[in-house]
Amino acid sequence: MAAPGRLINEGALGRNRALRRLGKLGLWLNPAAAYFFLWAPILILVLFSFNDSRSVSSFNGFTLKWYGNILNNVMGAESAFSTEIMLNAFRNSLFVGTVATAIATVLGTMIALAMARGRFRGKGLLEGLLFLPVVIPEITQAISLAIFFKVLFDWVALMSGERIFPGFHTIIAAHVTFNISYVAIVVRARLADMNPQLEEAAKDLGANPWQAFWRVTFPLMLPGVISGALLAFTLSLDDFVITFFTAGVGTTTLPVFVYGLLKLTVTPEVNAISTIMMVLSTILIGISLAIQGRGASRI
Amino acid sequence: MSTADVQLIDIVKEFDSGGERVRAVDSVSIEIADGEFFALLGPSGCGKTTTLRLIAGFEQPTRGRILIRGRAMQGIPAYHRPVNTVFQDYALFPHLTVEKNIMFGLQMEGVDKREAQKRAQESLEMVRLPGVGGRKPHQLSGGQQQRVALARALVKQPAVLLLDEPLGALDLKLRKNMQYELKALQRDVGITFIYVTHDQEEAITMADRIAIMNAGELLQVGSPKEIYEQPNTHFVADFIGETNFIAGELRGRADDGYGAVTLANGAQLRARLAASLAAGSRSVTLAIRPEKIAIARHEGAPAATAGITQLEARIIAQQYIGTDTRYTVDIGGGIRLVARVQNTGAIAADTFAEGQTALVSWSDSSATALDH
Repeated sequence: MAAPGRLINEGALGRNRALRRLGKLGLWLNPAAAYFFLWAPILILVLFSFNDSRSVSSFNGFTLKWYGNILNNVMGAESAFSTEIMLNAFRNSLFVGTVATAIATVLGTMIALAMARGRFRGKGLLEGLLFLPVVIPEITQAISLAIFFKVLFDWVALMSGERIFPGFHTIIAAHVTFNISYVAIVVRARLADMNPQLEEAAKDLGANPWQAFWRVTFPLMLPGVISGALLAFTLSLDDFVITFFTAGVGTTTLPVFVYGLLKLTVTPEVNAISTIMMVLSTILIGISLAIQGRGASRI
Repeated sequence: MSTADVQLIDIVKEFDSGGERVRAVDSVSIEIADGEFFALLGPSGCGKTTTLRLIAGFEQPTRGRILIRGRAMQGIPAYHRPVNTVFQDYALFPHLTVEKNIMFGLQMEGVDKREAQKRAQESLEMVRLPGVGGRKPHQLSGGQQQRVALARALVKQPAVLLLDEPLGALDLKLRKNMQYELKALQRDVGITFIYVTHDQEEAITMADRIAIMNAGELLQVGSPKEIYEQPNTHFVADFIGETNFIAGELRGRADDGYGAVTLANGAQLRARLAASLAAGSRSVTLAIRPEKIAIARHEGAPAATAGITQLEARIIAQQYIGTDTRYTVDIGGGIRLVARVQNTGAIAADTFAEGQTALVSWSDSSATALDH
């Protein structure tokens, strides 16, 4: 209760005003700091990919020559790598990404449908297991896959006398394993947002389950499927650790190639390639998010 | 209105809920006539929507039979049943235009595209929404979406139209308009409507007959007037409109369906015995509608006559509510009643002050004796 004759506690009002100002400053400072830590290293990389000097400590002016070098077949100070090798690695990346994405998208979508619509025993457990590849350390998954393939191929060699060597098939199989989870999670979220009465409405209007799926469920979940596929493709394109552990001879993907370059020295060309990869990934993820967002508003 | 269009015969529906069997619909039998506007009324969770879903074919009964136009529906999936549903939240396909939404059902029947387009157009005109065929559902208002859902179901010319709280999402004014329009539309098309609602007023104003459900059981089926004037159970009397409940002792039963009841304050009166009243019941509950109770001054009050119950009362409180005034009166022995007196304005002296004594009276037929 305020003292008689005192309508408002002026002291407290002043103190709270000061607190509010401090709070506002904090609200501005906190994200500023967070974004600085997030983006500073990446910005430096992008900046130095335009640096007119081989130095990584001083910026001597703007140039596009490192990007030019990539195209013009002059790679690195020692020119140990040619553009051709890099383009080959890029093609490998695209090949692995496309095939792994296609398989993971089909399988992941089917799992998501089963999770969203099915009623079966152990569904909760299966759903939890689906998240496993997302949360376990990538290196753990990489090593487990490497061991798995070795055991599998040893066993095949023992049974049939044929020895299988790691190659594209192992990289693709490995990429499919982690991508299934991501696709399933994205599609599952989409299905969870979908009004289940829409399928009932389709059946009510005379559509059998097959027609109801293709004419109502599938078009409505398609944005989720596309968005999941783009996410999978991006993850596949960017993946280094798992690819490194499951690759064979002659299957170098772009991230593995860049790693190889780094072993020699950090050249401005590496900065340029990394920048290109980052831009490409950002565009793909951007499209994926846009599709998810646009779709969500109409469901 | 003679042949039975829909028959539910001893329908039971049980669900598994955390390892327990829950009975959502408990031995319900209903016959719905051809062309009837039939309302399934009850509080949420009473089993009315489950009953509708059983007819639609989205759920299968645990026991019992459903017949539509004499044909047993067992084993017939939703997409082969001659019924269509208007869903509570409309369930319009968001990726299709309004026209394609309406054409959907026709194309499933194999109607060719031109014919389907023509009929979709007619059906949009029927619900008074011409010219929105090219729009997507999300570009329409709630009321318009409601009409499109109706058009989409009616274009199939079903034997029975099922409506699941179709006006529930609309605001009050729009709901009133739609009630009127729906009723008119139903008369025009002559299709049997089965209408699920928890809104008693909606059921009373629209339906030819009402079925009242509670906790999975069917309590009473009858015309709105029967349900309102002759409730069979305490629940029905309580659920529909406002009712006074007074505990009483049943002293004797007459052949004319009336009985002598003594109240806790010693008052003796006659009341209509509910059809459902158990044969041996002694202690009963009297249900009397507030608007059936008249209040008069002692001087100039009509002399007590046969068929009228008249009691001394004291006015406890009065509440002006526009069309009526609600009086709370004490008839002795701590028994309080609510009486509603219409504000006709004809007799200024008809208003009573708090603390004043007066006579309350009602016709014996307005008091119904029910089991507790």
